[in-house]
Amino acid sequence: MNLLKNSSLMEQLGASYALGTLRGGARRRFETLARDHAPLRAMALIWQSRMASLAELQPQVAPSAAVWKRIENLVNADKQSAALAAARQGAASAPPTQGGWWASLGLWRGATAAGAMAAVLAVVVGANVNGGLNGQVNQLTSEVASLSGKLAATPAIEYVAVLADDKSSASMLVTFDPNTSKLTLKRVGGFKEQADKSLQLWALPQGGGPKSLGVLGGDAVVRLTAADRDVSEVPTLAISLEPKGGVPAGSGPSGPVLFKGALIQTAP
Amino acid sequence: MTHDSPNNLDSQLIALLDRVALADQAALKELYDLTSSKLYGVAVRVVTNREWAEDVLQEAFLNIWRIAGDYKASLSPPMAWMGLVVRSRGLDFLRRRTSDRADAVLELDDVMTDTVAGDSPNPLDTTQASEQANALHVCLSKLDNKQREVVSLAYMRDLSHAELAEQLKLPLGTVKTWIRRGLEQLRGCMSRFA
Repeated sequence: MNLLKNSSLMEQLGASYALGTLRGGARRRFETLARDHAPLRAMALIWQSRMASLAELQPQVAPSAAVWKRIENLVNADKQSAALAAARQGAASAPPTQGGWWASLGLWRGATAAGAMAAVLAVVVGANVNGGLNGQVNQLTSEVASLSGKLAATPAIEYVAVLADDKSSASMLVTFDPNTSKLTLKRVGGFKEQADKSLQLWALPQGGGPKSLGVLGGDAVVRLTAADRDVSEVPTLAISLEPKGGVPAGSGPSGPVLFKGALIQTAP
Repeated sequence: MTHDSPNNLDSQLIALLDRVALADQAALKELYDLTSSKLYGVAVRVVTNREWAEDVLQEAFLNIWRIAGDYKASLSPPMAWMGLVVRSRGLDFLRRRTSDRADAVLELDDVMTDTVAGDSPNPLDTTQASEQANALHVCLSKLDNKQREVVSLAYMRDLSHAELAEQLKLPLGTVKTWIRRGLEQLRGCMSRFA
């Protein structure tokens, strides 16, 4: 049978091609024929367009409000990196890299600064209401309050991040003071690594590999030294679980990412 | 018809895509507000899990932000074009997940079996549909529920006959027959709209 003289067979194949169920050798033979025969090619294109409208008929489901926030963050980061790339000229033709574990979307889940900060406050306030009062919670409450006060009142802290786990529970409060080049990390969750493990802090620059900012000791408050350039222009920080003492210098994280969050500049 | 006039919505969406192509962030937000429920529905359909679907929607909108300038060349209704962006991000997501996790197929299995079981149709929704989509809707409505569902699943999740048979726990011959008959009927019906 000559396929090209049988218009209903041609159309049936075009529809199967567009649907995606025409596979393997049959698909390749169809493609070869379609390259040479415009009517067959047209049939395939018409059906591809029709099938695409299946997507238009799917029932509507409202996404959570957090999704737009995350898109906005990504678009802002995209714009910044595009501006940076343009400024640096060199890599003008390279689009911002996407992919790699630090760009994975979970990284942004629920980690907008305001939301996460509200979560810290809610955790603390909730603990109070539930009668779980103890000195530690009180201290934490006042720490968070004074930190919020400082954020609002003075430009002394230039960057702040709340690192949260995958359930958006805040676990680590990070601030950076460029005057002293000090990164201060406060543990606010109950997480405690095993004795043979260490937590390691990473900067996740846009379009580059993760950069270690240091290994955390076991104390509730950890201070690390970091250069301004290690922290500026970094959209996200993350903490991974590593062997005791952290990974060797120069290598990337080897363990799972436990906490992450957006780094927010609070003063110009 | 109770839905928005498709042509008005189409031209509104096209104008917004044009502005997004010029890196207009406010236009992206307007586009998101108009289309996110429909497109999230597409993502849920492809990946079957709401949390994953949010990741997919997010990736898709970043993608639209970057490639909105390509829309014009597609000659498609704008919602169909954006739907395709979401679908391909969703398929990418499933491929990544399948290579990460051996049990991914299992999870998908259960959801899919539920979908086709008991003749319950996946309701189609013509809100915001282009004229082409409305024609397709008329024609799909004439198929048996199961035929319609298998055709729709084959496309939305890019599944072969064998994958559909395996995941729906149906004989391969049955799947092939449903798809063939479904496409034959669609073909006859759609020709009236050409």
